Amino acid sequence: MTVDALSSVCNLGVLDSLSGASISEILESWNSFCLITETIVKGDDANLSTSYSKFQSDVCSLCKYGLRSLVEEHFLLSLQGMSEKHGAPNFWKNFDAYNNVPDSEMIDRNTQEDEVELLLCKALEEISLEKQYQEKCLLMLVNSLQLCQENNTSTEGHPLDMEKIFFSKYRLIVSSVLMTTMPRQFTEILHSYFKGRLEELSTIMVGDYDDDNELQDNNRPTNMDIDGTYDPKKTLENKLVRNIGMVVHNLKNLGFTSMTEDAYASTIFLLLQAKVYDLAGDDYRTSVLESIKGWIQAVPLQFLHALLDYLGDSMSDLSPKSTKSPLASTPSSCYQKSGKPSEGIIRWQLRLEYFAYETLQDLRIDKLFEIIVDYPDSAPAIEDLKQCLEYTGQHSKLVDSFISALKYRLLTAGASTNDILHQYVSTIKALRTIDPAGVFLEAVGEPIREYLRGRKDTIKCIVTMLTDGTGGNSNGPGTGDSLLEELNRDEENQERNSLDDDINTDDKQTWIDVQRWEPDPVEADPSKGSRYRRKVDVLGMIVGIIGSKDQLINEYRVMLAEKLLNKTDYDIDTEIRTLELLKIHFGESSMQKCEIMLNDLIDSKRTNTNVKATINQLSQTAAESREHGASFDILDATIISSNFWPPIQDDDVKIPEPVDQLLSDYAKRFHEIKTPRKLLWKKNLGTVKLELEFEDKTLQFTVTPIHASIIMQFQDQKSWTSKNLAAAIGVPVDTLQRRINFWISKGIVAESSSADSNDHVYTLVDDMADGGKSVTNNEVLVADDEAETSVASVEDQLKKEMAVYEKFIFGMLTNIGNMGLERIHNSLKIFCATNPVYDKSIQQLQSFLSGLVAEEKLELRDGTYSLKK
Amino acid sequence: MDIWHAVASWTWDAHDETCGICRMAFDGCCTDCKLPGDDCPLIWGACNHAFHLHCILKWVNSQTSQAHCPMCRREWQFKE
Repeated sequence: MTVDALSSVCNLGVLDSLSGASISEILESWNSFCLITETIVKGDDANLSTSYSKFQSDVCSLCKYGLRSLVEEHFLLSLQGMSEKHGAPNFWKNFDAYNNVPDSEMIDRNTQEDEVELLLCKALEEISLEKQYQEKCLLMLVNSLQLCQENNTSTEGHPLDMEKIFFSKYRLIVSSVLMTTMPRQFTEILHSYFKGRLEELSTIMVGDYDDDNELQDNNRPTNMDIDGTYDPKKTLENKLVRNIGMVVHNLKNLGFTSMTEDAYASTIFLLLQAKVYDLAGDDYRTSVLESIKGWIQAVPLQFLHALLDYLGDSMSDLSPKSTKSPLASTPSSCYQKSGKPSEGIIRWQLRLEYFAYETLQDLRIDKLFEIIVDYPDSAPAIEDLKQCLEYTGQHSKLVDSFISALKYRLLTAGASTNDILHQYVSTIKALRTIDPAGVFLEAVGEPIREYLRGRKDTIKCIVTMLTDGTGGNSNGPGTGDSLLEELNRDEENQERNSLDDDINTDDKQTWIDVQRWEPDPVEADPSKGSRYRRKVDVLGMIVGIIGSKDQLINEYRVMLAEKLLNKTDYDIDTEIRTLELLKIHFGESSMQKCEIMLNDLIDSKRTNTNVKATINQLSQTAAESREHGASFDILDATIISSNFWPPIQDDDVKIPEPVDQLLSDYAKRFHEIKTPRKLLWKKNLGTVKLELEFEDKTLQFTVTPIHASIIMQFQDQKSWTSKNLAAAIGVPVDTLQRRINFWISKGIVAESSSADSNDHVYTLVDDMADGGKSVTNNEVLVADDEAETSVASVEDQLKKEMAVYEKFIFGMLTNIGNMGLERIHNSLKIFCATNPVYDKSIQQLQSFLSGLVAEEKLELRDGTYSLKK
Repeated sequence: MDIWHAVASWTWDAHDETCGICRMAFDGCCTDCKLPGDDCPLIWGACNHAFHLHCILKWVNSQTSQAHCPMCRREWQFKE
């Protein structure tokens, strides 16, 4: 058709053949055509029908002379001019009021929303009417064109095709006109409109949803009832959807398809986000994923479903010719297939769900630190996060954000080692849920491990957590349970595994393993073997902090020794249990010594009763012990195999005569029973339960022997100078002063300076009126200050062992100047290959060297050690 | 004074530190034993040399003819 028009225009020969009459005819019809077009386009309905025949004939005559393209162009141009002049400005004028209102204000004001809504509806209606009218005009032109085409009997194209082309041209014109003149804030108006509508809808829907749940809960299956309650709501909802659908439809017809879709999509997302935030909040104790999914089904999807249904219907109703065929590819064409959940709905659902997952995931990742802090309670949140991550696959985001949170909040000097460890354990557990392969755990755990290695009390805390129910005294009960639990769990696993081993032959097991194999996640560090990663084991990871299990076991041994030595009854059931668990984990041989220690306690109990029974028999006949003023009833002994215990501090102390006598009798008896073995008393160790009798009250204490010796010296003599007292007890004066502080703090002994300035006088406070107030009666007080440890600590042991190498180190440093830690370590390994063999780890060396630095024997600068000048 | 819970360590009343056969401390146990003390006692020969019971028994049983004390080569006899 265009080609034809073009050829007729270009064919200059035709021009020559035109007679004067035809020229005048052309001019006449052109003028009248222009006139009619103008009036038509200006929009006077009355003119439309009357001038139609004239219009038609004009068009026909123009077409006859091959001026068809000119006709078309002119008509469309005049339509465009019309909409530019009137339609668009009028339309936009409606929104002028919002031109100068700042965006946030506009959104905030709820009252305005209704206004906006009304305005939008009205404006859209108007412009749609105008457009409909113009379309009618266009139809007129098309009809007349068709008519003359038929007259011409030229068969170009299908009439429907022509119509389609015209309409799409027209639509393009309208939308481009509107777009170019569109004010900036129109999108915001759309947004706020959809927001308002959706919120309204969602409240209705939520009501629905809740009602639904309630009904289901109440088990009221009567359909009548449900229908009855729903009717008003349904109609309200339908009305709302229809309204929205109308608006959307109008917008679409104006060519705002993509903008509209953007607007309602973003509104839905915003609403969804708000919903997720609202539901998820700061509560980690419940799983929110399901309810979010439910909400997506209930509100936005319902809305979309209704909207798309409506659009599909309305499109076929209102514009039957334009977009009915699925081939007319407006972007929304796929939405028209209503009925079953259409492709569009499913696509929307996926989009929404992904968005919800992502939002929730981001929310949870941001708060992961807090979630893990109260881990066992926040398990649902972790579970949610896991599902989200399965969808979104943004594990690396989690790792990064969590590590930075850790660095910022946990790995600071202010955090106690216990807390860090506890958090570490929780992290391990939580991340194990999310990612069983432990790849991300690896990444997250590394900074914590690194940090903990730098702390001195890490091992101690770990061991405390392992053994005690309460990890340290900072957090009270509950902190350390986790590790003990872990031990238990481990045991169960072990049992299960052994059971499996019995049942499965090796071949079968291998085959199962092979079948279970999964490739490592992409984020895995390929430099580390996957074997190593397989088993995420809390204890293993904890031990990994320390570096070797030997150190851990050593520390455990020291703590166990401490605990056992301070036991007055022989009740070691909990220790036995812990030891059994540890044995399972660390292997029997490494826990051998600890086992012997526990065995000593059991033996001691037996021996103790044995010795006492025989002594009492003797004493009944001889009644010897009575003379000493103390019977064997008060004496219990723990007899240890010193070779298997950690080195024990051995301070000599003179204990009161009667007790001393008892002890030697006891030892004699032991020697008789267990020849040829003999007892060596560790007189400074053990515990003494005392009851101090005063004139008006009695006080009970549980103290160490040295404390007991001190206080018993006051039995005969109320006042002692410190020198004399120290001599009587057989300890240096400074030790005495340290120990006696306990009694002074309890208000039982008073200290006063004497004439000799180096000497102090200690007097027993007889009158407890003032001093005893702070002490509650019959309270068992345990003396526990730093210096009381009966077992040499691991550091002390290490120091003793390392002392041998001190001169090697000094020698090296004198010769070479300064050396790094690693170099010292390696040199020691080379030079001390024979006696004494250097067998310490680099960590041990480091702590020893830092001890030397603290004593100002060495200097540490830029990671190298040098002699202090 | 109610209860005095004392701590002591035991030791074999031998005049040597380690067993001449297994080179382990007397206060410890021989290589085959796990628990020291009653479970792995010492034994004195007529020559007053002491060994872990298990160690010297192994030694005595491994000798075809009359066993000798590993320390002084005198004939091994358990001390009464």
